[in-house]
Amino acid sequence: MKKYILSLLILFSATSMVALAQDNISPARKQAIDSLALEKVKDLSKYISIIGSKETQFSEATRVMDRAEELFAPDAEMGVSSINNSEIAYYKIRRYFERLMALNYDRVNISWYDIHYISDLERQPDGRYVGVITVYQRFEGTSQEAGLNYRDTTKKDITIYVEKKQTQIAGRTIEFWDVMLGDVRVTETSA
Amino acid sequence: MRIKIIIILLFITSIHSVSGQVLSSSGRLMDDGRFAASTKQVNQFFRRFNAEESKEGDVRYYSDNENYRNRELRKSFINILFDNETSDIPVELKREFLNTVISESYPQFLNFHGGEWFAEANTVFSYGGKSQEVTLFLKLQPEGLGYEWVIENVNFEPFRIAFDKPEGDQKKFLHPLSHELGFMNLRKAIQDDPKPESYTPKDFDPDYLTLFIFEIKKGNLKFETVKEVKYHFFQIDKWYFELSQFNRPGFNTGWLISNLVKLGDGDRDVIMNFIYGRK
Repeated sequence: MKKYILSLLILFSATSMVALAQDNISPARKQAIDSLALEKVKDLSKYISIIGSKETQFSEATRVMDRAEELFAPDAEMGVSSINNSEIAYYKIRRYFERLMALNYDRVNISWYDIHYISDLERQPDGRYVGVITVYQRFEGTSQEAGLNYRDTTKKDITIYVEKKQTQIAGRTIEFWDVMLGDVRVTETSA
Repeated sequence: MRIKIIIILLFITSIHSVSGQVLSSSGRLMDDGRFAASTKQVNQFFRRFNAEESKEGDVRYYSDNENYRNRELRKSFINILFDNETSDIPVELKREFLNTVISESYPQFLNFHGGEWFAEANTVFSYGGKSQEVTLFLKLQPEGLGYEWVIENVNFEPFRIAFDKPEGDQKKFLHPLSHELGFMNLRKAIQDDPKPESYTPKDFDPDYLTLFIFEIKKGNLKFETVKEVKYHFFQIDKWYFELSQFNRPGFNTGWLISNLVKLGDGDRDVIMNFIYGRK
């Protein structure tokens, strides 16, 4: 949480250079928002790796699931499809994590590709901004007893909601832009 | 022609130039260039088409940047925005389209808020006890402080076959003196005739969207899933193209132009009728 407060303040200082009263997002502000959003996506990636790891104790996985859930806006869902079935299966965020934790492999290795893509931010009717960050993940699961060796690469298109909020610091009202994660589209790729 | 192919290959290779090792210094997997080359979002298709981002996609070019909408960059980008594996768009047609949009005197760009483009979502709903495909057509519209996607039209086989207005001698009618009998013959027309659409005006056009909403509200249509989405663009003057997503091995992947048509007089209506599944 401390890290995000620091990021928000950095975001504030970055955005204070441009007219804060305006609701339009300037390129400089957009860049600062992108950085904060990416930080949250990286945290999500880290949490997914911890939840999916067989070495993680149940209590620790539960705690990390709580942290991961806090990154998301209420009602966010995962929509998952595979190469063989393009139809989307829908999961609540918590349910998705629980399924990930329950995977029956002796060893699970989740790694992330060093590439991402960030869309423009578009304003929605309620005044909040929405964007999409795309990242790629490789999953490898092995089960010695069943002789299973499963591997896939998925593209994750992650919704981000960007909203101007206010906070009190030393008696002063400070405006800042906050980022929440929203629905995630998970598509298995042919890679 | 050979030079052009070399230039395109060099362009794609330059996008791939980050590859080489399996892990990056950050401990992350290195992309071998395929993900970098892929047009990962529809947003990226717009940016590439207009040359509003760097080759690697990591720098957004705004209007104050010298590379913003650079003609040569656009040329390179648009050449890799076609599906080259399955769509079979003639090379000459692609070249003509490219020359049109990057014309020095009248360059044309795509505008996210510019209208003249819409989405086609192939979905599945439960109806009458079984899963059935429903095609939804969606467009962007201004609303409140921003924009929203709205369902503009629906194509659903059970709705379509429900309306089959007979023509000519086959068409029954309410005779012109029905009013003198207080339209008592409506009973036969509506209750006995299985085709009550016979008694509608010439320009009767069933509104499937209203029916669709009604059936959802009555609980008869229940959403199951989305199968596929594609987009139809009429933004480029006298051209139509279709944008589809290609999830396959290789470098020609992501959101790519899957169909391209140069429009003559009346062609737009023909294409729209085809897309909407009208006769």
